[in-house]
Amino acid sequence: MTKLEAKNIEKYFDHDGQKLQALGGIDLKVNDGDFVCLVGPSGCGKSTFLRIVAGLDRPDNGEILLDGKPVTETGPDRILVFQEGALFPWLKVIDNVEFGLKIAGIPKSERSEISKRYLDMMQLTRFAESYTYQLSTGMKQRVAIARALVLDPDVLLMDEPFAALDTQTRDLLLVEMQLIWERTKKTILFVTHNVAEAAMLGNRVAVFTNRPSTIKKEIVIDYRRPRISEDENLSKYQQQILAELRPEVKASE
Amino acid sequence: MKKNHTWKRIVFYIALVAVWQAFDSANIWPDQVFPSPLEVGEDLVYSAADGSLFFGIGTSMWRLIVGLAIAIGGGMVLGIFMARVETINQTIGSLVLGLQSIPSVAWVPLAIIWFGLTDAGIIFVTAMGALFAVTINTYSGVKNIDPNFIAAARNMGAKGEQLITSVLIPAAFPYMISGFKQGWAFAWRGVIGAELLFSFLGLGFLLNVGRQLSDVSQVIAIMIVVMAIGILIDGFVFRRIENTVMSRWGLR
Repeated sequence: MTKLEAKNIEKYFDHDGQKLQALGGIDLKVNDGDFVCLVGPSGCGKSTFLRIVAGLDRPDNGEILLDGKPVTETGPDRILVFQEGALFPWLKVIDNVEFGLKIAGIPKSERSEISKRYLDMMQLTRFAESYTYQLSTGMKQRVAIARALVLDPDVLLMDEPFAALDTQTRDLLLVEMQLIWERTKKTILFVTHNVAEAAMLGNRVAVFTNRPSTIKKEIVIDYRRPRISEDENLSKYQQQILAELRPEVKASE
Repeated sequence: MKKNHTWKRIVFYIALVAVWQAFDSANIWPDQVFPSPLEVGEDLVYSAADGSLFFGIGTSMWRLIVGLAIAIGGGMVLGIFMARVETINQTIGSLVLGLQSIPSVAWVPLAIIWFGLTDAGIIFVTAMGALFAVTINTYSGVKNIDPNFIAAARNMGAKGEQLITSVLIPAAFPYMISGFKQGWAFAWRGVIGAELLFSFLGLGFLLNVGRQLSDVSQVIAIMIVVMAIGILIDGFVFRRIENTVMSRWGLR
């Protein structure tokens, strides 16, 4: 069943007075419970596309359908996890995680019950009372993921969430992310420029062309989970993705 | 480190008083013009004993607090709207920059015409002195918020009033604190200045009485009190809030 559909999404930017087309008509269908990775050359507009799905930016053309209904505003049904986490430094970890629930007016007792569950899932319980500056980058991303999950969104949007992490922490989170996905059955749209990451996470990998971007090819990765980064069988998929991606990266330089 | 710092200060102030006493002992100027530290000290003790000093402090502080509260409330609202609504920034924003250059005592004539010789007049001067410093710092604070904070909050459903109270204000708070600090300093100058000119009650009034009676010890005594309160409020109120906020953000 189609959960999310992007129809001919176009987006222009002003660049030194010139109109620059970032997105040249993105068409994408995402099934319920699917894990789709978006890869493309840097600056191709994949993050912009994610922001449009989140409702944070408006497309100049086309529409986003969630369960067949057009969406134009932000909503707790589509939660974005930012590259740098965008955690609030004035709040403790637990209050960061409960933020969306508080905004939604959910009473305190219920909030703590929900946040407790996700803090536990993300192994953050002992950091609940910490402020964000006391956390490592990896811990911050865990908080950011917990903060998104508490709202029980239909679609989880992730914008290169592991790009700033060291390799060990990233490998760990890449495995955890698969477990979380299996446990929560969320539909996930995951932007990355890292081919190995895409091959590890995605059921499908959509390769973006250079600007004005369209989706060039979708690669299906039907392989057992949880996948680990050392698994050499994944390199076959990586090669497949790279073969599509390389000419686009060249064209963008 | 900190201890060392305190010691240096204590030594400095003792030396300052000693130099002052030395000048007095040299009898260069008559006592009506240049009092000894002891005379100033006695004056402080007398005015403390008869309660006039504390009444003066209380009156000035009360006016300050009301004036500053108005300035902080108004400045925050104005600053947030200037930062979030471009038209307000382009219109009222330019006016605010101009108004900020007016020293607070320059509002006194207007205060007297509008409010007469009343507490309200002094509070008006105090508030106007602090308002624009708070406004401008709030404006910069909100302008400098990491756009991802706002995007994340909107994404999680915050809008309108909720966005302001749960994200804009706390995110801009480190800047706003400097605005409050500046605002407080301007307000304190404003209160004393206005009281000097209005001439009824408060520390500024006591300064003026000292001048009228040619009581130079009282003038200096009150000046010391004004300074001491300045140091105390800055150190105990604002620096403390600032430290809490900065350490919470991991900026220190």
